[in-house]
Amino acid sequence: MLNIDSFLESVAYLPPAPPNLSRLVELLNQSDLDVGEVVELIQYDPALTAQVIRLCNSASFGARAPVSDLSEATARLGFRETIHLVTALSTAALMRSQQKGYGIEAGELWKHSVAAALVGKLVAEERQDNASLVFTACMLHDLGKVVLSRRLETKYQEVLAESQRSQSPMLVVERNLLGFDHAEVGGRLLERWRFPPELVVAVQFHHDPAQAPAHGRLAAYACLANLVACFMGYGCGHQALALSGRALALELVGVTGEDIPRWMTRAFDAMRDTQSLLNFSF
Amino acid sequence: MVPTSIVCEHRLVVGLAELAVSNNPSAILTAYTLGSCLGVVIYDPVARVGGLLHAMLPDSRLDPAKAAAYPGMFVDTGLRALLEGACQMQADKRRLKLYATGGARIMDEDEIFNIGGGNCAALAEFIRQENLRLAAQQLGGHTNRTVYFSIGTGLVKLKVAGLPNEIVLC
Repeated sequence: MLNIDSFLESVAYLPPAPPNLSRLVELLNQSDLDVGEVVELIQYDPALTAQVIRLCNSASFGARAPVSDLSEATARLGFRETIHLVTALSTAALMRSQQKGYGIEAGELWKHSVAAALVGKLVAEERQDNASLVFTACMLHDLGKVVLSRRLETKYQEVLAESQRSQSPMLVVERNLLGFDHAEVGGRLLERWRFPPELVVAVQFHHDPAQAPAHGRLAAYACLANLVACFMGYGCGHQALALSGRALALELVGVTGEDIPRWMTRAFDAMRDTQSLLNFSF
Repeated sequence: MVPTSIVCEHRLVVGLAELAVSNNPSAILTAYTLGSCLGVVIYDPVARVGGLLHAMLPDSRLDPAKAAAYPGMFVDTGLRALLEGACQMQADKRRLKLYATGGARIMDEDEIFNIGGGNCAALAEFIRQENLRLAAQQLGGHTNRTVYFSIGTGLVKLKVAGLPNEIVLC
């Protein structure tokens, strides 16, 4: 069985960071946010520019006179909403493909990530935390699956048999078969992309935030958002709900289990809005 | 060879917090990836009237305004609307069969996160109150299920995410 370092060395092609995302992440912790920097970032990408203008003109943003100019669209949407939209769209190419090793159909992993990101954002806004940072951590939490899927694809029958035999969370099935799991791989990939340590830790410990050496609160957001997305049916792949409950994650974020149904009704609204924008079926 | 008859299936997706009732024999109602949500089929095989609910949470008292806008969001209001809708299309309550799936749960010994269990309990309570019959079920577990229901044949099929074959529930 390989260790994680040997595995990462053996992978012929590790995906590079989406270029827009790297630059957005640099902006996340800035207190003096400049809309001009976001416009600068988007304007050289025609597809992103079109999506942002489309979003701005959509009914869910209460479109008045339609805009055709990126600066005006960004101003009307607001800096934060623009950042969230661009973050989600920047990961689409990476996450939209089928992940056969997990039994995930095309589009499902991305939809799951968007749902988790919206849940995380809603809760972070309520708790007055950095909603953009939480949105990004939740958007990226399952990134490691993109890398591990191919390795598991050749072992898919073993994955099914092992999950049946052990009746364990899928994370444990991965460890039993490979020696490591998608959360660790996702964290390592973000490290290679030179993303900030809080995002690396949040992704690495999103299944067990209590073990995080620091930034446990951000990891707890990713943990809860992942669970809530799965409850709503936005989980994906084989045994999607074979996940451990983490009561401590609730404590770290400062909420209770009784809050979860309320988040689900709010996330329902957010997903309805997002569905029309991002062109996926609900 | 020229086909002697062509059957056009009328496929209808019942999205999250939605429900649909139909007496169109070519209708196939589908609720995708239920997670902890419930997919409940109601069917009168004589009147050939049936419906499908895709409910997210057990109890409408959480948010009465949401329940008014989306009765299918909650098990209690959703089942009530499903039952009334079927009866308005001449289904006979005494002949109604129910089939239920979804209600998956995570591995949570403390039951703090048990949304699926709450949905199943709300279903059981409604069935008891209304003296209905649950003909078949596949509830709980940790899998995501998709349910397909044919009004014409009464066939209820399930697809479990990550597994190749469909399961016939009835």
